[in-house]
Amino acid sequence: MTAEATPSGAGIELRGIAKRYGESVALAGLDLRIEPGEFVSLLGPSGSGKTTTLHILAGLLAPDAGRIMIGGRDVTAVSPDQRGIAMVFQNYALYPHMTVARNLAFPLRSSGRNLGAAEITRRVATVAETLGIGHLLERYPREISGGQQQRVALGRAMVRDPGVFLLDEPLSNLDARLRLRMRHDLKALHLRLRSTIVYVTHDQSEAMSLSDRIAIYRSGELQQYAAPIEIYRRPANLFVANFMGDREMNIFEGEIVAEGAHPAFRAGALRLAFPEGGPWASFAGRKLALGVRPEGVLLGVRPDAVACQARLRLVEHAGAEQIFFAESEGAQFCGKAAPDLPLRPGETVPLSLLAAELYLFDMASGRALVHGGVPLP
Amino acid sequence: MASLPRRALRLLVSLLIAAAALFPILFGLSSSFKPPPEIIRFPPSLLPAEPTWQNYQAIWQAGIGGFLGNSLLVSAATVTLCVLLGAPAAYALARYRFAGRLAAIILIVAVMSIPVASLLIPTYTLIADIGLMNTHVGLVLVYTAYQLPIVVWILAAYFQSLPEELEWSAMMDGYSRFQTLWRVVLPLSRPGLVAAVLFVVVFAWNDFVVAVTLLSSEEKRTLPIAIYNFLGFYGREWGPLLASAMVATVPILILFILLQRYFVAGMTGGGVKG
Repeated sequence: MTAEATPSGAGIELRGIAKRYGESVALAGLDLRIEPGEFVSLLGPSGSGKTTTLHILAGLLAPDAGRIMIGGRDVTAVSPDQRGIAMVFQNYALYPHMTVARNLAFPLRSSGRNLGAAEITRRVATVAETLGIGHLLERYPREISGGQQQRVALGRAMVRDPGVFLLDEPLSNLDARLRLRMRHDLKALHLRLRSTIVYVTHDQSEAMSLSDRIAIYRSGELQQYAAPIEIYRRPANLFVANFMGDREMNIFEGEIVAEGAHPAFRAGALRLAFPEGGPWASFAGRKLALGVRPEGVLLGVRPDAVACQARLRLVEHAGAEQIFFAESEGAQFCGKAAPDLPLRPGETVPLSLLAAELYLFDMASGRALVHGGVPLP
Repeated sequence: MASLPRRALRLLVSLLIAAAALFPILFGLSSSFKPPPEIIRFPPSLLPAEPTWQNYQAIWQAGIGGFLGNSLLVSAATVTLCVLLGAPAAYALARYRFAGRLAAIILIVAVMSIPVASLLIPTYTLIADIGLMNTHVGLVLVYTAYQLPIVVWILAAYFQSLPEELEWSAMMDGYSRFQTLWRVVLPLSRPGLVAAVLFVVVFAWNDFVVAVTLLSSEEKRTLPIAIYNFLGFYGREWGPLLASAMVATVPILILFILLQRYFVAGMTGGGVKG
């Protein structure tokens, strides 16, 4: 793509978007602002409203309420082709009866665009070269691999220089290795083009690695909208904390009891004494969830940590590290250890839950109260 | 894979069924090349002893060329009209959610079950009232009206099986609904189209009762009426009758053989895989 043809992408603003299908609410008053050139992932379990958001942005669905702004223009009532967007579908939606070249040229041949044959050929060639699919132009979609189809779909979106790309789980049909490579290529492409990308996925690691910001959805409501590391380190609530991360956060439901000067967390028979200092005592007397990510659960006795004894149940080798599962007083712990440490299931080991990795959530609302040992204002 | 004896048995059964179905046609074909005395000879001969074109020459002189042309014209016009009207209707039913959609679908299925003969008298009055008696236009309009429901039904089912993202994609690229139907949906619906077209062709080509009711003058006649008239015209002359039956059968047979691949795919509902 030539430099003059691609200014940085357009900004997007969604204001109070609502959509229901009969009785079920797909989106409940969504507000979302995406800066020009930003890569934003819409992340959530299926049925959480992320694809509905994308379809409303594309103009394939009309919202029941709210306004859609793209590039500073109100496009709520504008047809899909006039919004300056291009979309890549999960199944690529390549036209099976057209060659790759004709698929790529198809958007340029629509009657609204008065482009000469030479100009169309030139643009198709440029895009094909950018994506490394120049040698496939005369093939049909069924004659090329999944990864190549994915590139063609991307190329067909790129060919008309849209201000905004909408990508609907574009990598989910690829095998694991290829998915990682396409993820990398997509990121590189975004760095080069600097166009706005809205990316729908239910894969949190994809969202983490690709995005400038992630919008996390649950049941039609936005839970949190922030940079990946912010969402990982400072989840707004229990749902977000659980959803982000390759492995689930360890969650213990219980309450804080003050035993003399030392507050402790009690979950059934499990009792975890907090180290000196910390905000813990102030949350006594309500239903809480104590959370700690596996990287905060370590073997051995460490300073500034909650200590307990646990029995090893299972050890998984993950190459660069070991993941262990242990049990203490009916509670399950998942933690990480160095790869060469000899660990035998059945033995009792000392565990440390680092205070700087502890999270506290209010059970009633799910809202986060403590992030990494630091109380929220 | 089944064992060898099993496959042999299966082949044998298939051959028997094929022979039973094909024998009358093949025997008719063979007999149409026999001189009249040989046709009625007993015991009959399987193959003509002295093959002759004389039966075909007789029906050619009786003007079968013109009737064949009429049939081709009426069938082609009916098919064209059915697809032009049926495809947009089917597309609307397949893709739009509008009030009365279900009622429309039920109506379409319901009218398919009305026998054509029971509609003959009202159709006759209607065509007479609008002044289209004894015209090919009138016949084509009536055929189209009779066949449109099945065309809409087959095409709508087929369109629904196509991934909708293809159409969304085309519309986002600046194509209208009609352009999308024309450039994306129809090219991908070939099996469905073929199934629908064959239904219409078989009906229009074979119809006797509607044509004989609506057409009166000899030069407008389609093949089935012409063949029927040969029956009276030649009395018990089987030769020209068999020859004209062959002329009527062969075009349909060729069409089926050419489109067979698509026909099966269309009848089993098509999933288009990229």
